[in-house]
Amino acid sequence: MSLIEIKDLKVHYPIRTGFWNRITDSVRAVDGITFNIEAGETYGLVGESGSGKSTTGKSVVGLEKVTSGSILYKGQDITKADNRRKLDYNRDVQMIFQDSLSSLNPRKRIEDIIAEPLRNFEHLSKDDEKLRVLQLLDIVGLDADALYKYPHQFSGGQRQRIGVARAVATNPKLIIADEPVSALDLSVQAQVLNFMKKIQREFGISYLFISHDLGVVRHMCNNIAIMNRGRLVEIGTRDDIYNHPLHIYTKRLLAAIPETNVNQREAHRASRLAVEKVYQEQQSKYYDDDGEAYPLVQITKTHAVALPQALAQQLATQEGEVQA
Amino acid sequence: MAENFEQHSDISAADLARLSQEAQAEATPSTAKIIWSEFKADRPAMVALFIIVGFIAFVMVGALFINTPKMMETNIMAYFNQPFTPEFWLGADSGGRSVAKQLIVGSRNSIGIAIGLTIVSSTFGICWGLISGYFNGYIDWGMQRVYDFMMMLPMTMMIIVLVTIIPHYNSVTLTFIFSIFYWEGTSRLIRSRTLAESEKDYVAASRTSGTSHWKIIFREIMPNISSLIIVDCTLSFAENIGVETGLSYLGFGLPSQTPSLGTMISNANDPNNITQYWWTWLPAALEIIILCLAISYVGQVLRRAADASQRQGAAD
Repeated sequence: MSLIEIKDLKVHYPIRTGFWNRITDSVRAVDGITFNIEAGETYGLVGESGSGKSTTGKSVVGLEKVTSGSILYKGQDITKADNRRKLDYNRDVQMIFQDSLSSLNPRKRIEDIIAEPLRNFEHLSKDDEKLRVLQLLDIVGLDADALYKYPHQFSGGQRQRIGVARAVATNPKLIIADEPVSALDLSVQAQVLNFMKKIQREFGISYLFISHDLGVVRHMCNNIAIMNRGRLVEIGTRDDIYNHPLHIYTKRLLAAIPETNVNQREAHRASRLAVEKVYQEQQSKYYDDDGEAYPLVQITKTHAVALPQALAQQLATQEGEVQA
Repeated sequence: MAENFEQHSDISAADLARLSQEAQAEATPSTAKIIWSEFKADRPAMVALFIIVGFIAFVMVGALFINTPKMMETNIMAYFNQPFTPEFWLGADSGGRSVAKQLIVGSRNSIGIAIGLTIVSSTFGICWGLISGYFNGYIDWGMQRVYDFMMMLPMTMMIIVLVTIIPHYNSVTLTFIFSIFYWEGTSRLIRSRTLAESEKDYVAASRTSGTSHWKIIFREIMPNISSLIIVDCTLSFAENIGVETGLSYLGFGLPSQTPSLGTMISNANDPNNITQYWWTWLPAALEIIILCLAISYVGQVLRRAADASQRQGAAD
């Protein structure tokens, strides 16, 4: 059984218009997505901004009101607040936020910030609690003298590591990492990502890793879901997505990864433009009449793509020939 | 589970005392220390603080030694006695009553009402604003309609009516009557900031950490708008001194046999007093001006202390 099973999750926001402020339409931020997160793995959720990936993450952690669909954890639907409370759900599922500064209360000392989940879920004695906080700081590579300081006294990378320490404090099973490094510069990104990997190895945590940076996702994730306009367009292992992409949106995302090889600059540019041309000309083939993604069809055991059955098969065989 | 952490960290219980001592040495100074160093950096504010504290202490203690009913007896022999005489330091009014003694008892009454009014109305206004802003949605809608209704009532008229229909009122009932109407400005101000504050990630982080709504409101959000609260409280304290004085001046505040700053200033209703007997009203007027100025100085320092980027005091 998977750790978390997300089934046909929908989050719609109402649009109110007119004199009576009636609901006339809705923004479909997340529109029927289904995937499972296994214990101990890192699941990547990738997409452009506004594609609904953060909303998905917030729904999983219980911050967003879900319109329909279910998220199963230990066989219980945790979209209901009652079930979350009964399970002590947030003891097992925590979150790392994108903006490290605003996710730490500027008026609280680091000790109080990291101890907050401990105080709510574990009720340790004062000394045990302080010891646990010191150990957590040690695990994320910060000194003990951080204990009584305030968040603004740290650099961005240090703050994000404090965020990681807080998320790990109750020894959770799943951590939602909502673009945890996109606000950091590259050297610090690597540092924070490596700490996250180290913690994963040591504590056996699963991550739902939300990002738009495909380079980072390749470094971190075993399984990847590509999201576009509130729906999943492609699901697969790292190999499926990076080496055998089928949906045009996935190809576009991959083409957008900057290449460091300057000698082949022209070739890269040409392939990028070719993908863009296909996207412009064949949109109707890849999206349905309303401009939305099709339901997913299974290609291999791990690989699924949101295309009509016939087209998906055709592309899959083409892809196979190219490889051969 | 604790073992899990033990395994991956070199830190054990034996290091606890040493490490927390190290951390203590590096600790950021406490709020009280920051406020004090801020006062030290701003001399006028320091003077203002001493004026306020000294004056309030003086009138509170001094008023205990004055027999008010006896003081308020009419003494025709001292009719408009000149100031700076041994018996009447600040002269006497038309009833021959000592202005200096009235000033002490009157200040006690007025400041007491202002403090009580600030505490009651600000506490209520802050709670109302925080709850309304945090929960949003239908709760906010309902609470704001109550607010709109209260705003619609003509405040001064309502107070005057209430004062006249309540048979035996004293400074305590007066404080509560004022409080019914003076929480509104504060509540709107606090609500608008709470709306912005509760969207921030640290509130979401607290919720995923399992913290209850009430704890988030009062332990997470409230400290973050404390600079706004402090400034609003000091300003409304200065304003509230004016509320009581204004109403007493019109004759609807405290009963006439109870001296207050307002009843003393109302001596200036008489053109004769303005021109010839200046000592009957000038001390009270000066006191209000000085007090309000001093309070706003202190309020500025508190605001700076609450906001790290505005601080002028030494770093540690």
